[in-house]
Amino acid sequence: MPDSTGSREPAPLLSLTGLHKWFGGVHALCDARMVLQKTGVVHALMGQNGSGKSTMLNILSGQIRPDEGVIAIGGSRATFRSPLDALAHGISMVSQETALAEDLSIAENILLGHRLIRGRVGINWSATQDRARDVLQQVGADYDPAWIVRSLRPDQKQMVEIARAMSTDVRILVLDEPTSSLTDEETKGLFAAIRRLKKQGVCIIYVSHRLPEIFEISDEMTVLRDGVTVAEGQKSEFTPRSLVAAMVGTEKPVKAGPTRESGVERNLVLQIRGLTLEGSVSNVDLDVHEGEIVGLGGLIGSGRREVLEAIYGLRRAASGTILLSGKPLKNENPLVAIKHGVGFVPPDRKTQGVILPMTVQDNLAMAATSERQRLSSPCNGKIEEECRATSRLLSIKAELDADVSTLSGGNQQKVALGKWLLRPPKVLLLDEPTRGVDVSAKGEIHRHLREAASRGIAMLVSSSEYDELCDLCDRIVVFFRGCVVATIPREEASETRLAALGGGSKEG
Amino acid sequence: MKKRVSDVWVGTRPFRPVLAIVVLLFALFAVWQPGFRTILNIQNVLASVSILFIVSMGMTFVLISGGFDLSVGATAGLCGIFLGKVLEAHLLPGPAAVAATIIVGAILGGLLNGLFVAIFRLSVFVVTLASMTALTGIVLIWTNTQSIYVTDPVVNQISISRLLGVQTPIYIMLIIFLIFLYIQRRTYFGRDIYATGGSYTAARLSGVRTERTLIMVYAVAGACAGLAGAIAVGRVGAAVPQVDPGLALQAVAAVLIGGTALTGGAGSVVGTAFGCLFIGILQNGLNMVGVASSWQYVVTGIILLASVLGGRVGTRRGGMLSGIKKALGIKSPPPAESCAVEPAADAAAGGRKSG
Repeated sequence: MPDSTGSREPAPLLSLTGLHKWFGGVHALCDARMVLQKTGVVHALMGQNGSGKSTMLNILSGQIRPDEGVIAIGGSRATFRSPLDALAHGISMVSQETALAEDLSIAENILLGHRLIRGRVGINWSATQDRARDVLQQVGADYDPAWIVRSLRPDQKQMVEIARAMSTDVRILVLDEPTSSLTDEETKGLFAAIRRLKKQGVCIIYVSHRLPEIFEISDEMTVLRDGVTVAEGQKSEFTPRSLVAAMVGTEKPVKAGPTRESGVERNLVLQIRGLTLEGSVSNVDLDVHEGEIVGLGGLIGSGRREVLEAIYGLRRAASGTILLSGKPLKNENPLVAIKHGVGFVPPDRKTQGVILPMTVQDNLAMAATSERQRLSSPCNGKIEEECRATSRLLSIKAELDADVSTLSGGNQQKVALGKWLLRPPKVLLLDEPTRGVDVSAKGEIHRHLREAASRGIAMLVSSSEYDELCDLCDRIVVFFRGCVVATIPREEASETRLAALGGGSKEG
Repeated sequence: MKKRVSDVWVGTRPFRPVLAIVVLLFALFAVWQPGFRTILNIQNVLASVSILFIVSMGMTFVLISGGFDLSVGATAGLCGIFLGKVLEAHLLPGPAAVAATIIVGAILGGLLNGLFVAIFRLSVFVVTLASMTALTGIVLIWTNTQSIYVTDPVVNQISISRLLGVQTPIYIMLIIFLIFLYIQRRTYFGRDIYATGGSYTAARLSGVRTERTLIMVYAVAGACAGLAGAIAVGRVGAAVPQVDPGLALQAVAAVLIGGTALTGGAGSVVGTAFGCLFIGILQNGLNMVGVASSWQYVVTGIILLASVLGGRVGTRRGGMLSGIKKALGIKSPPPAESCAVEPAADAAAGGRKSG
């Protein structure tokens, strides 16, 4: 490339430089940059959860505005006040969740709103369908525009979304984890469409956590970590290993765990064999011993969450057995699971973990008293004493009669956890046990979990955060696309290795 | 003791607006119309809202559980017919017939509304609208649109006779109120209702039998409607083939004025009691000062809006003023801390691109 001797380098197609964004006290983007030099490339935007990818995409699509930084398109500065501004500059985004009007036709979805073609009286339907057919052909989908969206497969819906994004004059198409709900076969179809668009000179910003995909489809990459761009360049400059290393950053040394006395045989508490769930998990084996904390790692949608839900009776297993202390676990619903000694701390604190308008005591006592006579009185001293003890044990900073809605996130999470410690279960399932709590509360919760484990509770912890798994667990089971791909003892675990395995990389 | 009193005062917080309105309204009419503050008239006020009061108690639980019930008026009507038919045919002695009426109400509410809402997870609106419509039809078919005159003394005893100089419906109201207050505050069932309305998923995951709780809540509402239907029969002296179309919505209004949220999870039968008192005092007082009774609906509507608005705006950060400003589109400088504190979680891929 002639980059010296006065001949001016062409201005990049798109450049985001010096981006800063604060959310309250959180510095989500901190001098982040991303540059797309020329048209017709697939540019992968990589980073772990919380690295600032979504913030970057939202800025790019005009949904939020950066606090600092410059967006330049073809060398001239642009300001996006709304998604419409981004669209006017030829940037369109297909978000992770499909957002289509299910009961309308493909044509209506593609040309929804102002792009429906008007005739002299009302909408000209045949012209609308023709236009939709053109757009579909552009992305290489030979669907009948009259089809109703509800009847389509997930990948077909995705294609309709892409067609909708392409229905205006789009030069940069943003795809946020487009393959998260697609099968391998469907992914191939999507890639064919992406290559087709690439040939037409469209630039694609591609976000995915799946490493093999990234190396197959992308031409260049930008890697974010903690809101900073830590690496960028052509695909050829990266290997899966160096990419993961860039995403994870410097390894914190794995903390010395509680030493396990080796000679002692621990009782097997939970034994899962051949667990298969329709459409999400296939043939999973899992053992959890007394006092052991087993981590479940992998991407969102890899099946780790679904396994927990199946144990707790929220999903029907298609096949396989779940044994609790050697006996088949009856778990047709959560109440029965609780009765047999299973507890569950769900991922979404505010809607699943606690009941916000109720008091700390009511929340703490809920699971332990689920078997009580319903017309008996909850106002008895013993329960109150147990709640008080649990509250003290977890150092919940609130009165027992305070509404949970008035508590901080960390304390709310402690309440969600504490409700299981009044009557310790045999197995405690935790899904994202520290999501959205601050660092100090996170450390505290980890400490309480280890304490509870040392009292003999077996734990299964599903988490998106690899450092959490490394810190907390005795053993980590990594899922990819519904299967267990590795089981790693604590001593051999590292964030890099987990990230690589969770991203589908074969070598650990 | 002092702590007790302050506890009670703190406990009144959710329905303080309605408390203030009731006290003000009472004072207003008491000063304006000397006839209003006689014991006899106060009894009349109470007795006049007894049917609404009893229905509203059940409705409070339904609203706390996160639903509502359009069908209570029709259930009350049908239960009245049932009572009339049973007494006409001398199938049961009077008191047993009244008890059976209440049970029929509970079964209707639990099976029709409870089952479809709790087990089949259909929309509350659809289910209770359907049962209201169907039950209204059954009332007409069963009676062949003929009134059934009731002579059994029991219906008088629960509606218009007096005990120690006080009308019996007032005792019934008081007993029902105490039972509901006890259930609400002192039983696990009461906690289950709040938990189910507060967050259905969280309650279920914590081992609350949410389905059973919902069925029970609608059964209780039906039982209340049954009792109200029996009292209504006593008032008229006959089971009339008519359904009061406004009863259910008036009960919802009383519950909402009493500070219970339509979204569920919070509220109290104490507030509802004041909500009913408000409606009773307003009716009676306006009557006395010679204002056409239709005006009470206008005032009730305004107070309903005001109390719900007050509850909504009061809990929001920034308070009433900024809420009104926002509604009117007046911009105020943003607070120092940005409003939506969304951590940079990658899950939030954001809203829709516009299209």
